[in-house]
Amino acid sequence: MFKFIGLGCVVLGAALLGACGGQSSTTGTAAASTAHGTLAESPPFRIASLSAAAFGAELSANATSAGLLQITGAPICGVDFYYLKFWTQGGAAVPEVTESSGALMVPTGAAPACSGARPIVLFAHGTQTDKTANMADITNPSNTEGVLVAAMFAAQGYIVVAPNYAGYDISTLGYHPFLNAVQQSGEMIDALAAARTALPGTFASATTDSGQLFITGYSQGGYVAIATLRAMQAAGLPVTAAAGLSGPYALEAFGDGLVFGAVDIGATVFAPLLTTSYQKAYGNIYTATTDVYSTTYAAGIDTLLPSSTPIDTIFATGLLPEQVVFDSTTPTVTIPGNALLSAELTAALAVPSSTTNPFTPLFDAGFGMPYLLNNSFRLAYALDAAQNPDGAVPTPTAGVPLAAVAPTQTFRLALYKNDLRTAWAPKVPTLLCGGDQDPTVFYSVNTGTMQAFWAGVPTVAVLDVNATPAGPFASAQAGFQQYQAEQLAYYESAAGGSLTPLQAEEQLVANYHANVAPFCAVAARGFFSQF
Amino acid sequence: MTKFNLRALLALSAAGLLCGVSARADDVPSNDVRIGLYSVFYHASADDLAGPYVPAGVNLKADNVETLYVGYIRRLTSHFDAELAMGYPPLTKTEGKGPATLGSVPYNGQVIATARWFSPTVLLEYRFLPESSAWQPFIGVGVNYTNFYDRDSTAAGNAASGGPTKLTLPSSVGPAGTVGLSYKFNERWAVHASYGIARVNTKLTADTDGLIRTTGIRFGPQSLIVSAGYSF
Repeated sequence: MFKFIGLGCVVLGAALLGACGGQSSTTGTAAASTAHGTLAESPPFRIASLSAAAFGAELSANATSAGLLQITGAPICGVDFYYLKFWTQGGAAVPEVTESSGALMVPTGAAPACSGARPIVLFAHGTQTDKTANMADITNPSNTEGVLVAAMFAAQGYIVVAPNYAGYDISTLGYHPFLNAVQQSGEMIDALAAARTALPGTFASATTDSGQLFITGYSQGGYVAIATLRAMQAAGLPVTAAAGLSGPYALEAFGDGLVFGAVDIGATVFAPLLTTSYQKAYGNIYTATTDVYSTTYAAGIDTLLPSSTPIDTIFATGLLPEQVVFDSTTPTVTIPGNALLSAELTAALAVPSSTTNPFTPLFDAGFGMPYLLNNSFRLAYALDAAQNPDGAVPTPTAGVPLAAVAPTQTFRLALYKNDLRTAWAPKVPTLLCGGDQDPTVFYSVNTGTMQAFWAGVPTVAVLDVNATPAGPFASAQAGFQQYQAEQLAYYESAAGGSLTPLQAEEQLVANYHANVAPFCAVAARGFFSQF
Repeated sequence: MTKFNLRALLALSAAGLLCGVSARADDVPSNDVRIGLYSVFYHASADDLAGPYVPAGVNLKADNVETLYVGYIRRLTSHFDAELAMGYPPLTKTEGKGPATLGSVPYNGQVIATARWFSPTVLLEYRFLPESSAWQPFIGVGVNYTNFYDRDSTAAGNAASGGPTKLTLPSSVGPAGTVGLSYKFNERWAVHASYGIARVNTKLTADTDGLIRTTGIRFGPQSLIVSAGYSF
């Protein structure tokens, strides 16, 4: 409809095009390098920012976190939750380059403990079956460990760095290097380096790194924390103090106990995570998954966990047994020319029957049909354990050393390589905390073994939250024991399901490992506050 | 609804003059340039923002703006005109609408983003009365094109989004309409008032560290223009 077409209109058009070429805002910058320890996205994405009052209100909003609030104390600081993405390495013999993620929680607010130079808590989380788990996602109600560390440490003035671990969240590794000491400690150090790079560029740049570093973690993370302390100490990197909480430190001894029938709660999850991790690391655990697993579960088990499918669904759909690790038809051992050892091993591999062991019902539940691990794998492991016994099981010897000669059975050898009883001791104050009735990560074979292994090492302190309250952590002990009593009463009440005393006791056993966590964490915080 | 920057405005003046030189001789002037006040009222509606870590009910609204109006009108016949309507592109502000805070970060009512609009509208207009009449009521229909540029997430927007955020807003093409009234003082000078409406729909994409949040926005701009015109 326009009839004018001429030079002026061309000028006009050019001017209009010029107007369209304005600058737009930009997002964060992706790192050019994939070297391990590199911050992948700068600045990191902030998932949420909560004031102390808002965080306190959220914690008060449901019964579980309100109970946690009683243990942690009311938040002093607000917390910014950053989604840390960083480059690290996988667990293979030639380590894979992989991007991983985690949480950087930064205290904020006007209180003196909430800005300026603040200490860092480097936290390693417990075993997760959920591949999508993200410690930084405080908006996810199932992120209970993220809430725990935020309330326990970040809201009390500690900067928290907590990797999600390779194999989880954004990581495309395809497996998790579960209890791989080199990989997991390396990833912790990489997460710390990335967090220190990220911190000045966050919204909370008023909070800075004081240089004090505390390392801690729970369950699997307790192991990772102590492995990280060992790695940093070996590398000459400064650490202020550490706390291993309910960790499986003495892996060979723990494994030997399992094979000889001490089936812990969670073993059907730990076994495939561990087997896959060590197969990736050493390549010699099996040729086919049926070398280790029963034919019922062998297909696809090497890629089963971690999974975005809920673990209850995995159990319900028959991809993994909930409790049964071993065949209830146990092997009869025949060692040519050694009838005594044959008889001893046959008895040791039988379904546990001791009426004096409080764990016997639990152990019995680990035997049945269908089962996870096959008898030939179990027997090969047991023979190796008999020939090269660990110093901690079945009968502790002085110094509770690893097997005198390196194992020959490949899975046991992998445990041996990752056992933390190597020639070292913490040079900085280190607390080992747990509960002595823990049915998931047995206390005596892990914390107890390390206590004996480091007997006389002045930097090491040990706390059993189930012991008679005494000493500097008496309140954590008393708190745990009171909580257990309250839980038992609750399970028997109408609100708790009106369970019989036996059922209530079983429920308490099932939750014991999780129940210890906040009390060992508050003990760790108290321990760290001394430095 | 139409916006224009200073460079474009100067270019328009040149365009008008040059086009005027080339206009055909006639008893009735064929060209008309207008300048005035452009008040834009948004009746924005947006879908709740969707994407990772976005709570329910997070929405947006746009602040009304006033800017300079510039129009070029070409007489086509005794009753029909063509208009190119533009305005100096103002800074249009987008406010958060929804929760008072996201976590503890203020949101509702915060200016979270700004953008400039290059938004010309081409209209075919019909005048109801003979050209000799001093009063000239008219209606028009046409097409609006809107390009969003200089898109910025503000500090408040970055805080709400979780970090530095890149905004993408594809251009919009939609129908436009107008009704108005002119009063001619003489052959050359007149004043005009009009009401306009256009459809300006786009999809906002916000990229924060690779985390993408999106929403469809229907700005629904309505405008009032009061202008003075010169015919030649």
